[in-house]
Amino acid sequence: MEKNTRRKFMKTLGASIGVASVAGSSSLLNSCAKIESNNGDKIKLLTSSGELVEVDKSQLKPAEMPSLTEFQKRGREGLPGKSWVMVIDLAKCRNARQCMKACQNHHQLRPEQHHINVLQMQDAEHTAPYYMPKPCQHCDNPPCTKVCPVNATFKRDDGIVLIDNERCIGCRFCIAACPYSARVFNWFEPRDAEKYKGVTYNIEANVPQKKGTISKCLFSADRLRDGKLPSCVSACPNGVYWFGDRNEDAVTNGTTKETVNLTALLKQNAAYTLMEELGTKPRVYYLPPKDRAFPFQEEIKNDH
Amino acid sequence: MNNKISYIIIAILFLSVQSFAQEWLVPGDQRNIKNPLEYNLDNVQKGKDLYLKNCKSCHGDPGKNNALPLVPPPVDITSEKMQKNTVGELFYKITNGRGGMPQFKTNISEDDRWRIVNYIMNFNPNREPVLVAAPKVKAKIMASVNEKERKVEVFAEHEVKGKYSSLGNEQITISAKKYFGNIKIGEVTTDNNGRAEFNIPESLIGDEEGNVNMVVSLGEDYIAEAVLLEEAKVGQNKKVQKLIKPGILWSTNENIQIWLLLSYIGAVGAAWAAIAYVVFQLIKVKRLGKTEH
Repeated sequence: MEKNTRRKFMKTLGASIGVASVAGSSSLLNSCAKIESNNGDKIKLLTSSGELVEVDKSQLKPAEMPSLTEFQKRGREGLPGKSWVMVIDLAKCRNARQCMKACQNHHQLRPEQHHINVLQMQDAEHTAPYYMPKPCQHCDNPPCTKVCPVNATFKRDDGIVLIDNERCIGCRFCIAACPYSARVFNWFEPRDAEKYKGVTYNIEANVPQKKGTISKCLFSADRLRDGKLPSCVSACPNGVYWFGDRNEDAVTNGTTKETVNLTALLKQNAAYTLMEELGTKPRVYYLPPKDRAFPFQEEIKNDH
Repeated sequence: MNNKISYIIIAILFLSVQSFAQEWLVPGDQRNIKNPLEYNLDNVQKGKDLYLKNCKSCHGDPGKNNALPLVPPPVDITSEKMQKNTVGELFYKITNGRGGMPQFKTNISEDDRWRIVNYIMNFNPNREPVLVAAPKVKAKIMASVNEKERKVEVFAEHEVKGKYSSLGNEQITISAKKYFGNIKIGEVTTDNNGRAEFNIPESLIGDEEGNVNMVVSLGEDYIAEAVLLEEAKVGQNKKVQKLIKPGILWSTNENIQIWLLLSYIGAVGAAWAAIAYVVFQLIKVKRLGKTEH
């Protein structure tokens, strides 16, 4: 008798739980369906032309993300018909280091990693010291791309030397080959690694950076695609950098936004390139530090 | 003893406050030098040209407070802070610079530095300005490009008492559009009828087909929209150099060189053809042997 009642109790309990769960889940399902089919729910969106429009929520679809292969393809090809060059006016540099800061922010670099570095120079014992920003020279005859065993670093038709971190195996042959020490290695997790999680890798910015691979100056190839000057060029407060297309024979100053004739600028100021005796054919021109706008601030260290 | 310490503390505080205020002290003997140049229209006008070339990029247009956002901020030349300086102080500061402000000792001559001082003094409330900017006048430019004769024809008008009439003897700037900005290619002055013709220089470089986008604009004294001319084939063809030969290390089918592909297929084909020839010859020999007997 006792057993009976107990079994009965369990039965009713089970049945009631079953009914309750079915009822509960169906009501839950109903409510879900309601949200999806609720046509009255609208959200406001701003169109690219600046108009505010209302769209039904049910019409919304996730946007297409640019794919890695697409970035890699267009990154290999470069911008058609362009030939990027940089002119650095050493007479204007006062070691403000805004270029380095902007560059490190753009390319997710740790404080000790430099795509562009402002060096303190003194060429000989009795010559005057000066500041020299040194980015990658984007050589037309680059030694670095030739030693890469996996075709990760390459030269584009618009003159830029890039690196594909997805292909790079971290052998560092290119670091050894580069006479300008323009390349850096990601020995550690890159800066703000958490923030860049899930971002599609953009070969034209080397972002997100990958531990165990090489990174280098890219002339901000992603910004050039949008018609913007490179990060370092636009960040300079002293008018040091000129940047432009050699095919157009025009360069634009990042600070004053003035556009001038490239040939005339190089000729009038006796421009030179770094270590051209190596036959690398650099794309970065230097204007000599004559009539410097700012005095050299520190004592030059004589420890070499 | 206590007194001494408090004096020292006060002195330190005073000094630090002074350095916080970023006071730019000019040596006493420099402060009161007289301006050797006369304060006249010629010197002020030249000073303005020098200012536009050397100072404007940071200090901005006078009175518009559009200086670059630097630290410490470049001061507008019409501001009270700037005009508080004596001419000697201005000259000293332009000459030697400090921090973000460059020195101009080596790249602007002494006379020209004084001319810049004269131009700054033009905005001094205690002085009679010699260079008075005329109120800006509304103006219109009409321009077209003549591809055959390689000319830009310009007609300019300005508003006089509510009516538009032709604008004579005014400088008009012609620029060409480049990827990051416009480059000035020349200037023309309008005749009495407000018309001008500009001969496009041969050296102008266009795009791959020689097309150039030109911009025609008036000087700063007018409120006029710059005219963007239609794309015209008046420039040299942009020479585009091929830097890269496709097909390099670790060739895939995508970037293989044609001669390599053909010679490979040819070699393989020749080997197979040789084998086939031998096999057919053997079959032939066998058949011949059968028919003889």
